[in-house]
Amino acid sequence: MAQNKTSLRRAIVLLALASVFFITLDLSDSSSTSQIRRVFSTVFSPIENVSRVVTRPLGGAWNAFREYDDVVAENNRLQEQVALQEGAAVAAAASVRLSQELLALNGLPTLAGINSVTAQVIGETPTNFSQTVEINQGSNSGVKVGMPVLNAAGLIGKVTEVFADRSLVMLVSDPDYALSVKVVTMSSRTPITLPPLETQDAPSVDSVLDTADTTTSTSTTTTTTTILGFTPSATTVPAEVVAGGGSNITVPLASQLAVRETGILEGRGPGVRPIVRFLDASTRASAIEVGAPIVSSGGSRSLAPPDVVIGVVSRVVERLGTAGPILEIDLVADLSNLSFLRVLLYQPITESGR
Amino acid sequence: MFDRIIAAAASRWFRLVLVSLLVLSLQTTLFSEVRPFGYAIQILAIFVASAGATHDVYVGAIAGLVSGFMYDAILATPLGISALVLGVVGATAALMLQPFRDPTWWLRLLVIGVAAALGEVVTPLLKAVVGLDGWLEWRILGAMSVTFFAALVFAAPMISLARWTLREKAIYGSR
Repeated sequence: MAQNKTSLRRAIVLLALASVFFITLDLSDSSSTSQIRRVFSTVFSPIENVSRVVTRPLGGAWNAFREYDDVVAENNRLQEQVALQEGAAVAAAASVRLSQELLALNGLPTLAGINSVTAQVIGETPTNFSQTVEINQGSNSGVKVGMPVLNAAGLIGKVTEVFADRSLVMLVSDPDYALSVKVVTMSSRTPITLPPLETQDAPSVDSVLDTADTTTSTSTTTTTTTILGFTPSATTVPAEVVAGGGSNITVPLASQLAVRETGILEGRGPGVRPIVRFLDASTRASAIEVGAPIVSSGGSRSLAPPDVVIGVVSRVVERLGTAGPILEIDLVADLSNLSFLRVLLYQPITESGR
Repeated sequence: MFDRIIAAAASRWFRLVLVSLLVLSLQTTLFSEVRPFGYAIQILAIFVASAGATHDVYVGAIAGLVSGFMYDAILATPLGISALVLGVVGATAALMLQPFRDPTWWLRLLVIGVAAALGEVVTPLLKAVVGLDGWLEWRILGAMSVTFFAALVFAAPMISLARWTLREKAIYGSR
């Protein structure tokens, strides 16, 4: 009996030391822990799949019991929204296409140039202390650690663990998630309106961003691009501005263009809005309006390509002293109701080799 | 040789691994979907606490450490954190019942609930210790409450399961 207790005690000490050892190993990004996870996943997946099939009716019954009324109400609301947004979506799609064409013409990177894999959410986090979802695409589809994951609305997180045919995605709301972002704010200064111009003073087409009732003659050019996902159409640009047409030309000031402040987006757990801390402490809170869009900033060390939509500013929290303001963010993606996702096959430099 | 393999396969620790796999599969499927008030029921912690409550500190701790390693292997958190947490849960359940020679059924249920709920405090604490901040918030109270009341519901079947899993009598190869 005493010998039995001694061997149990030894086993406990051994297992506890092994835990500490593996925590240390894992926190130093050792590949051996990923190997252990991969092996365990191979063993565990069939059991989990059987369990998923067996327990699906129970989960369905629970959801039906809890959420039926909400689903009906939401369905009605969404039908109304869909009807309202059908027209807007067509206009938005045209704008996006135009924007992509302009970016491509100027040799700037666009999301359309990045391949992606569509995945379905097959499981939520089983714990109360991590914000992850499991998706049904893995290394067999080219998914790698660090790749950004989006849904139809915007960014939802990044891939943190990859197995052969499934992956774990850390959501934006996880406190361990951080991403460099930019806040696009609009200046409130009014544009100047110029009187009709003499012919010799006519501005070039590039400098006139918004014109009204200006007489122009147009020419049509056809462009080609290497960007996947869209075929550029013929672009019509005014060949020359014929001044003296008797109308005013509105020229935006440089200060009227969008101001971009960069910062770091940090998750704060489920049910709590993520925040943006500014890299530049001198950023004035008054320069940022509620409702300003937040997009990824991109860059060589960023976890996501530039201009992925993340959310809008819901609150600006001013802080005393030299500390810059903090922004609370309303995410555009509904993290509580994820189904189909898109993994951008874009691996950041910081995550390469994993 | 063959006898020894059969004996090892019939040992309670091998049974513990198999049963933990099953309970873990329930945790990652049914109980990650069924979320009362938005909190996941920690059925694995309830199982480990039941193991501790029906056996001694050593068995409770080992059951927790073994099950915890499996839990860690499917989570994105550092490998070993859940092992330590569940080890504490199993040992605590056994320690709380140690002063009682013959604890009543309801006392066992309460102890399992308290020990399992304790796991919901230790997890964020341990995560904070290793530098993964951000989880020490008031919502822990919600997670504890849900786990405690879920333990009262699921403890009875889990006690039976833990007793069967960890019973010492070998079926084959006893010498």
